Amino acid sequence: MSPTTSSIVSAAGESTDILAIANMPVLWICAAGVFAVILIQSVIYMKAARKAAPAAEITGPELKTAFRSGAIAAIGPSLAVVMVAIALLAVFGTPAVLVRIGLIGSAAYETGAASIAAGSAGAELGGPTYTQNVFAIAFFAMSMGGAMWMLATLILTPLMKRGGTKLAKVNPVAMSIVPGAALLGAFIALGVAEVPKSMIHVYALLTSAAVMGLCAAIGRSRKRAWLREWGLGFAIVAGLVVAYMAHTAGTPVA
Amino acid sequence: MSATSISTPITAAEAESDLAEFDRTTSRWGRLTMIAGLILSVAGPLYLVFFTGLDISAAQLWTAFAAVAAVFAIIWIVEPVTYFPILGPAAMYQAFMIGNISSKLLPSALIAQTRIGAKPGTRRGDFAAVAAICGAAAIHLVSLALFVGILGTWLISIIPVEVIDVARLYVLPSVLGAVIVQAILTIKQLRITIIAVVVALLVQFVLLPLVPAIAFLTTGIAVIGTIIVSWLARDRKPAVAVEN
Repeated sequence: MSPTTSSIVSAAGESTDILAIANMPVLWICAAGVFAVILIQSVIYMKAARKAAPAAEITGPELKTAFRSGAIAAIGPSLAVVMVAIALLAVFGTPAVLVRIGLIGSAAYETGAASIAAGSAGAELGGPTYTQNVFAIAFFAMSMGGAMWMLATLILTPLMKRGGTKLAKVNPVAMSIVPGAALLGAFIALGVAEVPKSMIHVYALLTSAAVMGLCAAIGRSRKRAWLREWGLGFAIVAGLVVAYMAHTAGTPVA
Repeated sequence: MSATSISTPITAAEAESDLAEFDRTTSRWGRLTMIAGLILSVAGPLYLVFFTGLDISAAQLWTAFAAVAAVFAIIWIVEPVTYFPILGPAAMYQAFMIGNISSKLLPSALIAQTRIGAKPGTRRGDFAAVAAICGAAAIHLVSLALFVGILGTWLISIIPVEVIDVARLYVLPSVLGAVIVQAILTIKQLRITIIAVVVALLVQFVLLPLVPAIAFLTTGIAVIGTIIVSWLARDRKPAVAVEN
């Protein structure tokens, strides 16, 4: 690691050496902090649950069984997230990927938010305009977005606890339309915005969609349900492989 | 359930106060740890912005945040409301910090509840869910630290720079293609899907060329447009039947 920040940030952040700033020690410390907070929370929760177990008509061994089955059930999905996270390391660096993709957020929301933020700075995520400055703006916007999610949880949970689930019942028709429309509108618009960039972008988009569809179709049978979890990881890698082949075929190899 | 006979018998009053204490502990510490996680997660980017000599203006940051909010603000509120009835108050503070709720935490909780024969929505079910999420969190933290933190960082350091540059260039469409298919399959509303595609195409290829200045707001406009058109074009058959 370089001893001074000035050698990492070059030309007032106009350098495209993203990983130089994305892997700065301070960011690693913040990421480790989030890990520690989740660990502490789990310990406090398990202790509290064990203490009140008899009152909830659950035994100590049963709590242990629940912990163990939760852990085993999470192995597959966790490794699937790992695969997606590794694919995104080149864009965001390890600390940001650990916190944003691995923990708090998810690949879909965070890459979406980063792409929108880069666009607001007149740049393209991952392209030649993706400078250190643009990375910092994207990382800021992703993190603030994630913070809003947590803020909503902090504010709404006590409210819903008091009022039951009244909030969800405000308007059942609206609840059946608005969330789905917001999600589909966001991701389809983000996908369509990739189309004019280049034919290779289109290939990557279509390959990824096709592989995901295939995984979902094959994963319909209960025996192969694991394919549904791994779909996103396989689709991203397939999209990247096709893009790489098209890219190196189209441009003379240096 | 046989569980009650195994556990040490306690009076109803004792049970009441024990449960109240569990609620107090989890809501106090759940909230405190979540606030700590929130602060740590924004500390990193704030450090980059203010202390590293990057050339970024406050206006750029607010524009970026506003553009993201225009797209996701509704989802920020809808998601906690959707998951509350399934998770219960204590697990809410775990789930929204650990992430990957529907793909990992919910299945873990359900499997644990089935395993010990606890119904969701009951106290037994809530406790089983909390324990299961703790177990899932433990596995997740270990596999992330090991395979992404250590192995991933090493992988990136040995992969040739040209390959990384290409991966960086095309990772966004490679993520979005799959995410769109996943969203369509999960939401299962053909009408809204078609509306979203038409609105996105109109915004991208008609509106944007006419008003290039809105470039950074196109996704937000598409989201709001999709919601409004989906609402106006919703299936009103039940309402018609009532009128008749």
